[in-house]
Amino acid sequence: MNIEKIIERGYYWVDEHARQTSVTLARKLSRRNFLSRLGMMLAGATAFPLLPVARSFAQSRVEEVGDPQSCDYWRYCAMSGTLCSCCGGSYTSCPPGSEASPITWVGTCRNPADNRNYLMSYNDCCGKAVCSRCSCHNTERDKPVYFNSNSSTVLWCFGTENTSYHCTVSLVLGTPDE
Amino acid sequence: MHFISPLVKNAALVLTLVIPVAWAQITPEEISIETMPEPGENWFIAKTSNGGYVYDANSGEMQGLLSLSRYTPAVTTWAPRQEFYAAESYLSRGVHGERTDIVAIYDYENLRPIDEIIIPNHMARLAVRSHLGLMGNGRHLAVLNMNPGFTVSIVDVQDRVFVYETSTPGCAIIMPIAENDFLQVCGDGTLQLIQLALSGFEENRVRSEPFFNVIDDAVFDRVTRSTDGWFLITHAGVVYEVTTDDDEIIISDGWSITQAGEEGWRPGGRNEIITAHQATGLIYVAMHEGPIDTHHEPGDEIWVLDSSTGRRIHRLELESPANSILVTQESEPKLLIADADGGTHVYDAITFVHERSIQTPGAQNFEDF
Repeated sequence: MNIEKIIERGYYWVDEHARQTSVTLARKLSRRNFLSRLGMMLAGATAFPLLPVARSFAQSRVEEVGDPQSCDYWRYCAMSGTLCSCCGGSYTSCPPGSEASPITWVGTCRNPADNRNYLMSYNDCCGKAVCSRCSCHNTERDKPVYFNSNSSTVLWCFGTENTSYHCTVSLVLGTPDE
Repeated sequence: MHFISPLVKNAALVLTLVIPVAWAQITPEEISIETMPEPGENWFIAKTSNGGYVYDANSGEMQGLLSLSRYTPAVTTWAPRQEFYAAESYLSRGVHGERTDIVAIYDYENLRPIDEIIIPNHMARLAVRSHLGLMGNGRHLAVLNMNPGFTVSIVDVQDRVFVYETSTPGCAIIMPIAENDFLQVCGDGTLQLIQLALSGFEENRVRSEPFFNVIDDAVFDRVTRSTDGWFLITHAGVVYEVTTDDDEIIISDGWSITQAGEEGWRPGGRNEIITAHQATGLIYVAMHEGPIDTHHEPGDEIWVLDSSTGRRIHRLELESPANSILVTQESEPKLLIADADGGTHVYDAITFVHERSIQTPGAQNFEDF
């Protein structure tokens, strides 16, 4: 028996075995059962290879320390306004029904959790009455209005449908060395 | 009724007959409406977030109210026409809806709006005194816009027409000078002079050489008039006087208001931190002790400086720190101080004696008239 015939018989055996197994499964299982088990298998399979990657994502997230409803919270070092985290939002989200202004002022704040500087974007949430809670006025590296990219005094409700000020969020844009 | 004595019955009868007679002798009072008298010395407007409160600083009595928008930066006046001018911004549903920016004109006699001119919906909407300025000829009013680039709306308040909107990239505030010109402070450390034609349109634009560094020591966007121009002050307390000669911008050498050992003292406050009495050349600055970047800290003291010599002549300690100050221009001037708790205090600006405190709901800036 030459090598080609051995390989051909091997293929035939694999094909035949797969066919018989498929027919047997088809007789025993419904299609929905098959799909659900296949889905579980795929979901499980995707989780395993991603675990190390997910861990590395977690390491790149900003470590937080302190009370986000306090003006002394590290993200607010150059922030003037009322805290969205006290008004139904968070330091990265606007409260319900408000609009996020796409135009912002910036600051640089040191995070005590890792002692690194972070470039901050302060976005006003707009279109509702002022949320008069947790009013803060921090002026680290703040500049006058004529240098408005670094001015916390300005009302930054630009590019929104409604221009009334509601509260302010504080987003990390990156680190100065990035 | 069987228990009521005849004496009580008689007394009740007498009372029911006498009281209506007594009432009938009083003439019913009728409601009336005051009009403004001629303005006296040391009258001023305390501009708050809900209007301009008109006071007599000599008596402390309120005279009336200008109903302004909550976004109005400041109010100014032109005595020959007996009118007040304010930039205002409104949303049709209060906090949302269609926006309309206007220049409103109020008459002196009734403090009522008598006219308005619609301007582009770009007002900066900040309580900064120098975001509004009436030119020296009393005709053209400049309103600072931010959208977020800087522009200026020019309004002819005499003919009641919007003239045009001019772009002023990187430059803000309005410092009227000469007949129909204004200066601006720019982020690159320069001043900009814009000269208007009689029509209100821009005729000429000039830029100075840089004289400060916004990163190292920024000039405040709170300024005050000098006799011929304007006084500017930096976050570290260096004063410059700026004037013009036609299209030339003249910037004096800077001088520090702090002395050796006082490096921790800085100008500061949330609103107007510097004011000057033009006839005497006295400059008043709200000062506090603190590190850099504390330029919005209210002033624990008012430092009084002689601009002709650069020497300090007084340190006025305050019980309640100052957020905004103004000295009136009368021969017996008053120093007005808005404190951080919303109170307004009147001092004699020459003897520095506290004269009275006035209840005002949070004055952001003052206007002398």
